[in-house]
Amino acid sequence: MKMNRKLTWMLLAAMTTAFVQCKDSGDEVEPDDENELITSVTLKFTEQGTSNVSTFSYKDADGDGGNAPTKFDTIALKPNTTYTLAVELLDESKSPVDDITKEVAEESDEHLFVYTPSPAALLTYTYGDKDKNNYPIGLTGSAKTGAAGNGTLKVQLRHQPGAKNGTPTPGSDDVNLDFQLKVK
Amino acid sequence: MPSFRHSLLFLLLTLLSLTAHAQQPACECFVKGVVKDQHTGQPIVGATVLIVGQNNGVFTDENGRYELRNLCPGNYTLECRIIGYNPFQQKVDLTAGHEENFNLLEQEVHLKDVEITAHRTDAPSSQPLTTISGADLDKTRGQTLGESLKGVTGVTTLQTGSSIAKPVIHGLHSNRVLIMNNGIRQEGQQWGSEHAPEIDPFIATRISVVKGAAGVRYGSDAIGGVILVEPEELPVDKPITGELNAVGFSNGRQGVLSGTVQGGLNFVKGFGWRAQGTIKRGGNIRTPDYFLDNTGISENNFSLAAGYRNKGLGIDVFYSRFDTQIGIFSGSHIGSVTDLLNVIKNGEPFVKSGFSYAINRPNQNATHELVKAETHYHFKNGNRVQWTFARQYNNRNEFDLHRPRNDSIAALNHPELTFKLTSLTNDVVWDHKPVAGKITGQIGVSTLYQYNLMSGRPLIPNFNQFNAGLFWIERYVTAKWELEAGLRYDYRTLKTYRIVNREKIADQFDFSNFSGTAGATRNFSERLSARLNVGTAWRAPNVSELFSDGVHHGAAAYEKGDATLQPEKALNSIASVKYAAPKWSIELGGYYNYIFDFIYLKPQPEPILTIRGAFPYFKYTQTDASFKGIDVSGSWEFAKRTTVSSKLTYLRVYDERNDGYLVMIPPNRLDNALKYQLADRGKWKDGFISVGNLLVAEQKRVPANSDFLPPPKAYSLWSLQAGATLKVSEKQHLEIGINVQNLFNTIYRDYLNRFRYYADDMGRNASLRLKWKFGA
Repeated sequence: MKMNRKLTWMLLAAMTTAFVQCKDSGDEVEPDDENELITSVTLKFTEQGTSNVSTFSYKDADGDGGNAPTKFDTIALKPNTTYTLAVELLDESKSPVDDITKEVAEESDEHLFVYTPSPAALLTYTYGDKDKNNYPIGLTGSAKTGAAGNGTLKVQLRHQPGAKNGTPTPGSDDVNLDFQLKVK
Repeated sequence: MPSFRHSLLFLLLTLLSLTAHAQQPACECFVKGVVKDQHTGQPIVGATVLIVGQNNGVFTDENGRYELRNLCPGNYTLECRIIGYNPFQQKVDLTAGHEENFNLLEQEVHLKDVEITAHRTDAPSSQPLTTISGADLDKTRGQTLGESLKGVTGVTTLQTGSSIAKPVIHGLHSNRVLIMNNGIRQEGQQWGSEHAPEIDPFIATRISVVKGAAGVRYGSDAIGGVILVEPEELPVDKPITGELNAVGFSNGRQGVLSGTVQGGLNFVKGFGWRAQGTIKRGGNIRTPDYFLDNTGISENNFSLAAGYRNKGLGIDVFYSRFDTQIGIFSGSHIGSVTDLLNVIKNGEPFVKSGFSYAINRPNQNATHELVKAETHYHFKNGNRVQWTFARQYNNRNEFDLHRPRNDSIAALNHPELTFKLTSLTNDVVWDHKPVAGKITGQIGVSTLYQYNLMSGRPLIPNFNQFNAGLFWIERYVTAKWELEAGLRYDYRTLKTYRIVNREKIADQFDFSNFSGTAGATRNFSERLSARLNVGTAWRAPNVSELFSDGVHHGAAAYEKGDATLQPEKALNSIASVKYAAPKWSIELGGYYNYIFDFIYLKPQPEPILTIRGAFPYFKYTQTDASFKGIDVSGSWEFAKRTTVSSKLTYLRVYDERNDGYLVMIPPNRLDNALKYQLADRGKWKDGFISVGNLLVAEQKRVPANSDFLPPPKAYSLWSLQAGATLKVSEKQHLEIGINVQNLFNTIYRDYLNRFRYYADDMGRNASLRLKWKFGA
């Protein structure tokens, strides 16, 4: 039985060692800056031939959930006018603020902006940029408004790694926002 | 090492002698009783009960009963023996009829053909228990744990494609089903419906399912049931034996190789060891019409075990490592509701692919390590103490489809979600010596300490959790009746840490609860028996239910937790009747499981706005839910060697507080099989051919407007199986099995497969299985 006792003590010692490893998960909580978010989308309409700039934004500074979006502007444009449309994406949950537009531009062969007005007659969008494979990107372009009316402008950023073919179908949405659109 | 049997110590349940009766005429005395396994309480069939010194003995019947008649009054020594158990003698003084029950103790050293029951994880005997072992388990080899259990009545699976399967018992799954892996509570990230249990089924020689609430013995969370994964007893002082399994599947061109070697040591008495390992590789799964991109799997697992036995003392140590990499169908990662609706409208995935073994993003990598040490000691007076300690480390990494846009971050190729969960469990159980010869029982304490470290996209908080439970179960056994009752108290404290607006926030939760169980088994005759059990169990809300806040990719739903949730409490009544005749048998079971404060995702009237558009909004909410069901199984040998068997699983779930149905409840199913047993021919034994059909109904009881797509239509799948054993020599045999699932390449989708929005289920899958046993 001496052997037995020895073995039992060995087991006890092993167990004590294992319990010493207990640690507190609270010590390791810190904000993660590698995680990518898009917290704001700003559309910059510049009336062609002028320097009249109107900007319209969606902002949800803390990302999905948490606090509700702080800003979701209604786009107001003049009828029968041509605008230069530039888009800006930011991650404001980081400090300093992360410019996602730049990252999209760097990986333009994986991204496609899609602008869909409803009803379609409200606005016509023409891409003003191309990636290395000659497919459109949509970071800049022109938007020509039609006759006065109300509707929506859907702004999508399609993420299409390895599958971009110039159509919206492949990939999935990184941004999908329905802005209210007023042309008057 | 679940082994918990011990040498040379036995308990004896003595009896009330019915000596008060008047003297009987000569030689009309009798002695009868029931022989049971001391620890499991299960009857032992075929044990010999004989009178020492006389040529008079009988075997126990299928209920463990025996009867010796026409004895003259006098003193006798009865002996009860069966291979694998310690023989037991008892003196009796016969004057009339006498009842003598034997409770045999399994021998420390087992012969290999003895069915082994690990009593430490024994289930309440009045609750339905289904065990898959031997040839039935062999037929499931190569499949995941969840898939292996699909054949059990009342058990279904919750799937994410075909490589991730979680067992569903009586409609309940994930945190509501407890898995005991080799006697230890499996602690992974079970809250996730796409987190399959990290267990290699090749470790087990028995997989059992306890249906219904079993909170008293196993602790909180066992609301739906318990799955026991048990390896064989260690081969102490045995020669080296082993087996090699090879399985190949046509679909996914999957190969599985698993080997086990075990034995004792010549120079150390009382020692046994085992080493086991499994490798699995599979590629893209094919539906009847197309391949599913990125659905490969890779798995490398191994385990080591060693044990020592010396008189009443036993010590076991066990280590296992499970390591898997699973590709997630790339067409299932979507960014917005529009994406999801487009796939549904298209009727098939936009992503097309050929066959490949490559696993790319999205994928999940999970490793699970278990270290366990167990020691027990049998006291001479019949008491027994067992102490089990284990440490588990679960490391789960999930990679999203999208690489980070920032090149320097993308180059690191970090997972978007990492969970590291460490759990320490400690259990001490005392089996008291029998009281009045008929009452056995156990008292135990178990504790659990765990901490979770999470990094990446915020999903659940970090947490520390401590649980302590105290339980007491008593069992009373006679020839006709078996009664049991138990009580348990659990306390849990949970501390969570999360980041809100770049600040650390800590929350503390305390939960405590009682659970109880009471049950009876009645053996009416050799053929007919009935069981009734009423049990309770509870489950504290888990961190994802408390703190989820975000879009569930793949489900296109915004899920929000609620930090004010209270524990769920289940009251489960379950009854079954079994009738077994030589040519046919039937088992009928019914249950009514009422869950108070059932936690579920309740659809909210207004969608929630995110940068990816408006998502349907679900909040974790509590209601009262009832789960009513019937499990029927039967078989009939209607012609020589030909058996038909049927299993029916019927379930109705109702939201009692809101007068409605609940989502994700498995549809009813009927499983039929026709089996023809081939005659043995030379060295070929146990040959069979069987045809099976599985009918799965359409789930019509769903809440209105709660889903993007109504539940899929009913489907019917045919399967074909054949197998035989070649006895190469006394010590070597080769088992061969052929199995074709979805024989007619039927196109179908299953309601409990989360990929049903995106793609059809798996097409035809033929497999060939070889098992070589040596040294046996």
